[in-house]
Formats: sequence, C-alpha cells, structure tokens
Amino acid sequence: MSLRIEPMQRVQKAENKDELLTPEIRADIDAWIAKYPEEWKQSACMAALSIVQDANGGSLTTALMDQVADYLDMPPIAVYEVATFYSMYEHKPVGRHKICLCTNVSCMINGSDDIYEHLRTRLGIGFGEVTTDGRFSLKEVECLGACGGAPMMQIGHNYYENLTLTLVDQILDGLE
Amino acid sequence: MNKIVSYIRSLFLFELFKGLSLTGRYMLTRPFTLEYPEEKAPVSPRFRGLHALRRYPNGEERCIACKLCEAVCPALAITIEAEPRDDGSRRTTRYDIDLFKCIYCGFCEESCPVDSIVETRIYEYHFEERGEQIMTKDKLLAIGDQYEEQLAADRAAQATVR
Amino acid sequence: MTDETITIEVDGCSLEAKAGQMLIEVTDAAGISVPRFCYHKHLSIAANCRMCLVEVEKAPKPLPACATPVADGMKVFTRSPLARAAQKGTMEFLLINHPLDCPICDQGGECELQDVAVGYGGDVSRYTEAKRVVRDEDIGPLIATDMTRCIHCTRCVRFGGEIAGLRELGATGRGEHMRIGVFVEQALNSELSGNVIDLCPVGALTSKPFRFAARSWELIQQDGIAPHDGVGSNVRLHVRRNEVMRVVPKENDAVNQTWISDRDRFSYQGLQTDDRLEVPMLRENGRLREADWDEALQAAARILLDTPEGNLGTLVSPSATLEELFLAGKLTRALGSDSIDHRLRQQDFRGDVADPAMPWLGRRFADIENNEATLIVGSWLRKDQPLLNLRVRQSVLNGGVAMAINPADLDFNYDLDVDVVCKPSEMVQELAGVAAALGASTEGIAVTPDEAHKTAARLLQQAGKGMVLLGSAALMHPDYALLRRLAANIARAAGIEWGSTGFGANDTGAWLAGAVPHRRADGSAGQGKDAKSMLDGPSETLLLLGCEPDADFADPQRTAGALGSAKVIALSSYRSDALLAAADVVLPVATFAETSGTLVNLQGDVQSFVAAITPPGEARPAWKVLRVLGNLVDADGFEHNSSTEVRDELLQLRGQIQPDNTLGESAECPQGFLPAGLQRIGGIPMYGLDAITRRAAALQATPDAWDGTLRLNAATAAGHSIEPGGRVRLVQDGLSVELPVSVDERVPDDCVWLPAAVQESAGLGCSFASVSVEKA
Repeated sequence: MSLRIEPMQRVQKAENKDELLTPEIRADIDAWIAKYPEEWKQSACMAALSIVQDANGGSLTTALMDQVADYLDMPPIAVYEVATFYSMYEHKPVGRHKICLCTNVSCMINGSDDIYEHLRTRLGIGFGEVTTDGRFSLKEVECLGACGGAPMMQIGHNYYENLTLTLVDQILDGLE
Repeated sequence: MNKIVSYIRSLFLFELFKGLSLTGRYMLTRPFTLEYPEEKAPVSPRFRGLHALRRYPNGEERCIACKLCEAVCPALAITIEAEPRDDGSRRTTRYDIDLFKCIYCGFCEESCPVDSIVETRIYEYHFEERGEQIMTKDKLLAIGDQYEEQLAADRAAQATVR
Repeated sequence: MTDETITIEVDGCSLEAKAGQMLIEVTDAAGISVPRFCYHKHLSIAANCRMCLVEVEKAPKPLPACATPVADGMKVFTRSPLARAAQKGTMEFLLINHPLDCPICDQGGECELQDVAVGYGGDVSRYTEAKRVVRDEDIGPLIATDMTRCIHCTRCVRFGGEIAGLRELGATGRGEHMRIGVFVEQALNSELSGNVIDLCPVGALTSKPFRFAARSWELIQQDGIAPHDGVGSNVRLHVRRNEVMRVVPKENDAVNQTWISDRDRFSYQGLQTDDRLEVPMLRENGRLREADWDEALQAAARILLDTPEGNLGTLVSPSATLEELFLAGKLTRALGSDSIDHRLRQQDFRGDVADPAMPWLGRRFADIENNEATLIVGSWLRKDQPLLNLRVRQSVLNGGVAMAINPADLDFNYDLDVDVVCKPSEMVQELAGVAAALGASTEGIAVTPDEAHKTAARLLQQAGKGMVLLGSAALMHPDYALLRRLAANIARAAGIEWGSTGFGANDTGAWLAGAVPHRRADGSAGQGKDAKSMLDGPSETLLLLGCEPDADFADPQRTAGALGSAKVIALSSYRSDALLAAADVVLPVATFAETSGTLVNLQGDVQSFVAAITPPGEARPAWKVLRVLGNLVDADGFEHNSSTEVRDELLQLRGQIQPDNTLGESAECPQGFLPAGLQRIGGIPMYGLDAITRRAAALQATPDAWDGTLRLNAATAAGHSIEPGGRVRLVQDGLSVELPVSVDERVPDDCVWLPAAVQESAGLGCSFASVSVEKA
C-alpha cells in the first residue's frame, strides 16, 4: 500500500469495547495506544497483536485478530495484513517453547544444518511442527542479527548463541 | 535454304515418327492415372480436409473455447458459444463450422493453442440435406475420435516443422 | 498543490505542468504513453508495479513516473535505452509468476498485461523454475477470482479503502507469498464491488455472470445510460448477436466519474429472461390470448375511445424515457384526462399544490463533494443511490459532516455526526426537532429539540454549503408532504439546499414531460388525479407503462383491486402474473437497451441514447406504441418519426430547463401517521427497484437481496413472544402474510422491517403502516 498520511478509516466502530479481550490485555494495549496521537491508535496494531498472541499461548486466531481490529477501529483485513506479513505472528498453535533456529548464511556456514538434524532427531519434529506433548515447536527463521554468535537460535525472548549439539541438549533439558 | 531442308524433312514424315516414339515410350511405362475410387492418390500429412476436434488420451476434449479460430477464420465459418462447465473449466457449448463458408485455409488449425481443431485427410464427403453442412461439436468430436491415431501421427510427423 | 506553471521536457518536447503534479499525469495529458499497472487517476499512488520507470536527467536510477513530482526544467526520457531496459526488466519479473493461460482467461484480448507485454516483454522466458499458484476464494456471485494471475498492483485494495469506503480486499502475506484476497472467505458487501473488475489490469478479478461467455473482440460497444437510479450513469453496453453480454462504465466526470454501481453493471441479466413479453395479448371472453399488433392496438384504441372523458388514468414508471412519458401524457390529455402520474410509490399527495416547477436533487453531483453538512432523511444512501453516496462520502473526507435520520440503524461508509434512529412515525418529530432548533417553522408539530437536534441544527447552520436529502423512505412515508415542508424549512433557515433522490431513472424528466397530474408538459396547471386517487377509483380505464402491479406501487393490494375493476391497457416488457391477471390488452415494449430515448438525471442533465439491440419477438419501443395509439384515437400531434423528434418537441415546448425546488404555499399538513403498536418499516431493497433488477439473477444472489424474512430486534421479538427463526403471521389492515422471522438489531423497538417490491409483501398494503404479528 501507498505511504499513508491519514489514518485508515473504519466506518462501523465497535461500541462494546469493554467486552473485547480481557481487562489486562486492554490495559496493555491502552499503554501502547497512549504512545501515539489519538487518531493514530492503529499504530499500536503490532504491539496489540504481540500482546494478544502471548496471552493466547503463542498464536493468533481469526477471532482474536477481529477483536484487535475492533479495539483499534481498523478494518479486520488491515489487521490480517499485518499479522500475516510479519513472521513473528503465528497462525497455528505452537508449543510452550518456540525454538526459532536461524538458517541464514552465517549460521549455515557454522553448522545450523547439523543443529537442525539434531533437533529433528531429538524432538521428532521438523520445521513448522509441534511435539505431541505440546512442549516444543520448531521454526526456521531468517537472520536475527546475531551473526557474531552463529549458529544461534531464539527460544521465547532469549537468544542462544555459539550453539553446539551438547549445548542445545543442555538448553532443552533446562526447559520444562 | 531452310525452306528446302524443311520440305525434304516433311517428305520423310520425320515429325510423325518423333511423336510416335514418345507415344511408344509411354505405352511401355506405368500409367500415372488412378482408377478412382478403387485407387487413391497418396495424401500429405499436411492435407487440409474435413475438420475434426481432438481429445486428450484421457478422453478430455482439448478445446478450451479460447475462440482464436473463430477470430482468425477469414470466411467467418466458425461459431462458438461457451460457458463454465460444472467443474468450472472453460468449455464450448456450441462449436459450429459451416462447410459452405469454409475455404480450408487451415488458419483455425494454426491458431489453435491446444491442437484441438484440426483438418483431417478426409476429402470424400457430401451433403444431402440443407443444414448438413453445419459441422456441430458432436460431429467434429466423433470424427476426431475415429481418426485420432492418424491425426496424432500426422501431427507428430510435422512437429519439427510446425 | 500550487497553481504555478512550470515547464518540463519529455522526450525532447517541452510540456507545461503544474508544480506538484506527478510526471505520469503530465505525460498522459500530452498523450505520451508510459506503461503502467498500479497507477489509476482516481486512486492513491502506490508505485508498486514499477512498470512506469522512466529516465530523468541527473537522477542516478530510473524513476517511477507515477510517483515522481515534476520540477521546473526536468528532462525526462521515456524511451531512452535506460528507460527501456528498466521497463523490460520489470516486465520480465512480472511475467515470471504470471501463468500463460491467456486462451482460457476472460481478460484475454482486453488485458493490460497482454498489451504491455507485446510492447515490452521478451519473446522467450528465461525463467525455468516452478511458478506460484494461489488458491481462489469465493467472493460472491458477482466477481470471479483467478488469483494466480494477480500481479499485486493493489488497485482493488485501494479502491475498497478509498472509493467504496469498505476495505474488504487486502494483501496478506509477504514477498512471494503475498496474495490479494479477503482472508476470511465471504462475499464482498460493497455495492460498488463490480468496479474492481474494470480496475484489475489482468484476469485475476473478472465478472462472474460474464464468465467465459464472450471475447472482447466479438463485442460491439454501444453507449447507453443506466436506467435504475437518478444518477444516470454513463455506461457502455457490450453486445453480441443481439444480446447484451455485459455493461461497463463510460467515463463522465460530471456524473459517474469512472464508476458504476453493481446494479447498473449486472442488471443486464434481467433483459434475457424467460418471462419477457414477446407478443401482444388480448382479453377475449375473460381469457388472455395472443394477438397481432393490429388487433391489439385497435382493441386498445377502442377501450381508450370508449372511456368517458376524465375517466382515464395513466400510471407510468419513473424510469420510463422522457419520450415515453411525454407521449403518454400527451395521449392521456388528448383523451380529456389529466390523470397521469409517475409517483407510483408515493402515498401522501397533500403537498401537490405546493409542488415546485421541476424538482431535482438540489445540488449538482460534483458540488455535493464540497458539502460542509449533509442531512440524510429516510435513506440508506449507500444502497439506494450508491454513486450519490460516493459524493457524500467524498464530502465527509473533504472535511464535511454527514447526519442521518432513518427508521433503521443502517451502516454508512463514513462517520455520521448525528445518527438518529427512530420509528417511522417519529421521523416527523425528529425532523421537526431539527427545524425547531434552527428556529424554523415546525409546521405545527409540538417538539422540544433534544441534544441531537441541536447538534444537527448547529452543524447545518455553520455550513456554508450543504443539503437536506430526502431518500426513498421519506418519499414513501405516509407524511411525506410534512417531511418535505420540514426539510424545506430547515434548508431555508440554514441557508442550504434540499432535494430528494427520487425512485427511478427519470423522476426529474417526468416533471419535465408532464407525467404528473398537475403539471402539463407546456408548464400549465392540470386538474388530474394523482396515482393514489386513480387507484382509489373510480377510474374506468387504466393505462400502465412499464410497471408491475405487485411491486412498483405504494399499495400492492389497492392496486390489485383497482386494476381488477378497471379496463387495463398495459405496456410492459415482462409477463408478470399480477399484470396478466388484470390486463385487457397487453402490449410488449422494449427495455432500455432496445429503445432509443432520453433520461434526465437528478441534476437535470438531458442524456439521450440509442438502442443497442432489437427488442425480442414482436416487442416494440414504447414511444412508437404510444405514437400509434395516438394516431388510432385520432389525436393531433402524433406524427413523430423518431424519438429525437419527440424529445425535441418537448424541449422546445419547455424552453430553458430550469430545475427548481422552491415550494409554493399549501395548507398545513397535520401528521396523519400515528400508529399504535407495531409499525412496519418499508422501503425498497436495493435489488427490488424495478422489473429488470428484480430479474437479474446474480444480483438476487448477493447478500444485498432481501432474504424473504420479517426482521425485528430481539427485544421486540421477546415482547411479542416470537421465536427467532420461527414463522409468524403479519397482519396489516385485515390482510396478512405468513413468513419467517429473523433478528436484526438495526430495527428500532416495536418495529418490523418488511420492504415493498418483494414477493413476500405483495399481499399487503402500504409499506409504512401499523401492523400486528401473530404466531403462525
């Protein structure tokens, strides 16, 4: 879409915003909305989606995205666009721990393929899958900006760098 | 001088024997003429005779109703109507060629992106009733089905030069 | 943008441009072709297709012409080796993922990608990897999708957000995985959705009713005027073998810009139906039989001549052409009657004495965009008049305000500053409240303005330009005369205009042609009966032109009764059961595509058109039929040889056309509609407007078509112990129908919503009335 100089117009604004989401989530989103000019509350869309995704166990559903759209007075399709554009939003359920393994050049040269093979044998899942106990899910990601510590992976909000197979085992053993 | 030579030659019937020798030579060679219809001349794989609509080996009709043949036909002999078939594919509901209008130029065959409309080697056909000259889709498909082997072989033979 | 004029040089020619203009606007105006896909002059600039790259002197790289503002002295090369290389490169990338399925693509032959590929594409693809495939979504009965063909120009997405005001299509995913769609599969809800078919430069979005039916090179293009609403959109009819295959817009900035509504685009389906009337019919011994024209016309003339003077009533469709209306009026008056009316759906004629000379919209369409305040009374403008709504929406985007007083909580695609939802009977009080807040006369209605009234009054007062717009629900209201006076009072007090949207394509033209009982074509006053009184009787003979008794009248039951007791001559294009049951002579006439004629739109533009196809069977253009009837009854002045002669006679008679909404003096109209208990909300559903639309199959399959239920809100349902989903018997003035119930929270308390012009309500009376419901 073109450079936007006006807020996207939402005609039918949701009236019962108090019934959307939960009070805690609303408070979190409101904190983000407060950072932008009043008519630009749709700028909080990405933050709102992250908050909602975290509260829903790491993934989004259409119903949740609709609620975000209503809450921010955006057309639902505009929220879907954001949520499908960025790779950190998940549209299928994920495990308790989402292992994001970088396979870009630096990590690949330093052995990310071996780490993937190792994870695959250990967990029994490939990229985009969830273990049957719902504990782990595996995701292939593009460069996360930690090439200095390649190969690397991200679990939750933590980066794990300079990975070796034993280190991976230790990390995974440490997660419940 | 010339007149005298010519006169002497005429006395010896030279021209006559020259002519008769040609006749005599051909009397002994195999004749060119054919006893049509018992005998038939060989036909090129490029022959442009009666039209046919072909099918794919799985039985699906090839024609996709793109209407390029209708557009290219210089005699406006082709009439096509189309609509989505139940499975959503683009198919003709009517494919008529008026053989009274057709000039057998072969443009339809050339324009077809799927080798569906073709001209066969058939050149022996006639009509007894008004209206029979309209080759409908069913008739064309039936011809295609009957001669598919020949048609496929002809297309294969010409594949490198088409 | 300033008005400063600067000079730039394009391909060696020097061109004048306004500072701030984009390069492509300047080259377009100069006729220099620059290839493009995503640029469209009525949409915002996206610059995402990169096809319009051109070389600009001193710029290090080629620049997109659609997003490069001109600067003084700029030197541009659209065909230099650098520009060509950039354009060819872009083309190659666009074709990488575009399927080579032109032979089965409906866009083939009229495809922008095809055209540009001929000029800029290579002849052999260097790409050997797998192509992208995109799953298609079903987005309703009007638009077919083949999203694999999409080149992501986002014109359709921008159209939804910027013009239609309803963002339904979007670009989800990223990079290779980006796709255009609705994400959650649903039918598009926009009344302008068909325009994305024209906007799509490739065959990704095509017309579903037209799917695979014809090729662009087979079609003959004929200009026409859309016959469904008072906008009079300029259209092009595409004809093949005497059949209208599709309708597309024709650009006219003063009327429809480059858009048309779905109603105008897809109504052509109603032209070829099984129930087209193709031969004249005649009642003999109580039964209709087919007859030839001579016989039928003689019989019609005999009925007309046998009618005692003043006992003939003529009821004409408000969408009939100017020529038909004029000749119908002339014929009626030649037979000594002034009773002709096109206001078939109106039920309150108390204000007739005060009627202006030639009512119109009040403002020109383009001026509406500059409205600072617009008060909509009784109209779901979005669905009733999609293209007028576009203008009002633009006025809101330009900083104006819009307000509405409606008998249901309808959604508009812009914010309403005042949104009053009331029972139909309270519309009068609400409007009077605004009048009172403005200090204007409330026509004797005792009302204390509330906050909403005061806000509306303040906004209207502050507006230098604006209008009060009476919609179809106001025109059909039992107190229309009162609503109209209030609207005029408000407009006068606030210094703005007022107007009404009318019912058909030629409401303004009908006044011009004298198709009203109290205004003759020459402007003199008449003494005829209005549509309601004609049906109240006694009318010995009724002449119907282009209307269906069960759907085109305010009160279907009264109409049925009146037709039953009168001699009826009907000029109709369709064989509707109700018509055949009542008519004594049925004369088959042409529809808008089959006749030449003229329509006068709401802003007073006189737009003539010629026939695109010939009528089916023995049907004839109605103006010819009326002309011959005129000859057969020995009336003077029926010697026309063409419809243009008829039009010219009328226009000469009328002289200068001056639309005028000034109301004259009339007696007070006390409020007459004060029902107790439940009230029925009527109105006309978007696709129930006229005989042609009602027969357009694709339109009837959209969510906008009425679903055949009685709608009411949950509270009302509970109050009357009605189960949602169950069936009820709706009783109105002793008549009743049985129909299913659905819950719709847009309906106010103690109201039920059942529109006119649908099959379910044909057995009832007027559409705004006091009703009761019983369990079925």
